[in-house]
Amino acid sequence: MKKRLYLELENCIGCRSCLAACTQCGGHEERNRNYVYDVNPLVNRQTMPLMCLHCVNPACARSCPAQAIQIHETGAVLSALVEKCIGCQNCTIACPYGIPKFDTEQNLMYKCDLCIDRSKDGIPPMCASVCPSNTLQWLTDEEIEAKQKQFNLDNGKWVTSMPYLEGETNVRVNLPGILQGVTKLF
Amino acid sequence: MQTNTSINKKTGRSINDAFASKFAKSMFLSVSALVILSFIGTRMFTHVDLNLYGYMVGTIVFIGGFFYRFIAWGERPPTKILIKKGLKLLKRKSTPKTAVNHLGIYDFIKNRGLYRWVQHILIGWGCVLACMVTFPLVFGWMYFTMDDNGHYTIVLMGLNLMTVKADGIIAWFSYNALNISASMVIAGVCMALHRRLKNMQARAEQKFIYDFLPLYLLLFISITGLLLTVQNVFLHGWMQPQMSLIHQFSVIVTLIYLPFGKLAHIPFRPVSVFARNYREHYGDQAMKECKVCGDHFVSVEQSNDVINVLGVNEMEFNMQDGFNLAELCLPCRRKYRISRFSGFATHQVKVKEANQNAKG
Ligand code: SF4
Ligand code: SF4
Ligand code: SF4
Repeated sequence: MKKRLYLELENCIGCRSCLAACTQCGGHEERNRNYVYDVNPLVNRQTMPLMCLHCVNPACARSCPAQAIQIHETGAVLSALVEKCIGCQNCTIACPYGIPKFDTEQNLMYKCDLCIDRSKDGIPPMCASVCPSNTLQWLTDEEIEAKQKQFNLDNGKWVTSMPYLEGETNVRVNLPGILQGVTKLF
Repeated sequence: MQTNTSINKKTGRSINDAFASKFAKSMFLSVSALVILSFIGTRMFTHVDLNLYGYMVGTIVFIGGFFYRFIAWGERPPTKILIKKGLKLLKRKSTPKTAVNHLGIYDFIKNRGLYRWVQHILIGWGCVLACMVTFPLVFGWMYFTMDDNGHYTIVLMGLNLMTVKADGIIAWFSYNALNISASMVIAGVCMALHRRLKNMQARAEQKFIYDFLPLYLLLFISITGLLLTVQNVFLHGWMQPQMSLIHQFSVIVTLIYLPFGKLAHIPFRPVSVFARNYREHYGDQAMKECKVCGDHFVSVEQSNDVINVLGVNEMEFNMQDGFNLAELCLPCRRKYRISRFSGFATHQVKVKEANQNAKG
């Protein structure tokens, strides 16, 4: 059963477990590849995670002159192949969300690979496995649809991904209800 | 492709019209170059070692595969731009230093780990050394003659390079160069195999065909090569012709495979020097300012190149509020995304992105 990473952004409590978990994924060499942001840092404590959305047509891979960014058969957009990346940093400035990180010392780009050693076998990625607030979930398309029904407010405010992103993505994002004035029951 | 044909039309009849394709032209030129060099090197084909002809065939198939891959790769828009500008910038003062760093001593691999660096030095330089000895011999660019007893003359490109004592140090290194290189490669490959089998970080991402096959090929070549010496020295040449064939076969298979698997990074790697030159040169010229925070985050040239490349793929990130995502530095781009999710303009708050490394 194909599952996807699914983000329910408003659940985030800012614990940064996902950042810590990401460092522990195989092949990550103890560096995290995701972000957690304060939405309005000087005013309140709302946070939101941001990670690679695994675009269907990934700008990062299209801009890479070395073909170092491969797309896995599951749709995951992988991190740069170490022997191919030539360190031009095209990918970092091509990604519309600013996701790829670059290590100048190692002359190497690294980005979220959807924990491919786990997710290729259907095991949830590290960040989704540890998220205590259900912000990051690993769901089938049916489950995502069921969620959509559950929250269907018939006012167009519950939307996954498009048109709020720059292109189709393999990761689904749920636009927050709370911030749009919608109370949500878990 | 389209721009190519239009250029050809404009200049009328060019030399390119004589060839069916770029591939045909590159093939023709390199095979001709090989033949001419061998002609000179072997003093008009009088010193060809026909035992080695299998390698010749292997090399020519390799060149074919290489051009096939290289041309397909070079046609991709981002690659095309980088190669074109990289060639122009080759005369930069820093090129030799960058080239030594990237292609000779692999500084960046040292930063990925000392173990990996040692392993790469052993394999990389072992292979380079072996190629530097084997191919000149195969194509007759270098050979040895013995005019008077006890002295060899090394002939390079048809010229007598030097005369050495048959039991001298230079002669010893010449006979044993391939043994030394084989030992280096075996040591390096064993280190790599050990890492791939034991290290959990490496194991997470490896695939058998992609990561192990090239290692086993190199190991096979080196061991059969060393066995040749063993047979020669200790077994009076027992079974040597057979082993020589097996060795030749393993080299040919590897040569044919080389442009298509992990080893393809060897011929393609010099482009990393282009990339460094490109970033340094255009970075000195003009830097792009982030539309939100004013940080200089990339050269104007590179930013435009990436915008063009994405344009070819019909990607353009113009926002409703007037700017293009390419005008934002990376932290601002991420904050802008948060603002799109939340409706609050996170990127306008003058606070640095905090605590992004999971350190408490
Ligand atoms: S979100 Fe960015 S890094 Fe991830 S696939 Fe898309 S373009 Fe690439
Ligand atoms: S930095 Fe590496 S992965 Fe990124 S575009 Fe350049 S070569 Fe490709
Ligand atoms: S999916 Fe894996 S690599 Fe991607 S952010 Fe989550 S933990 Fe990190």
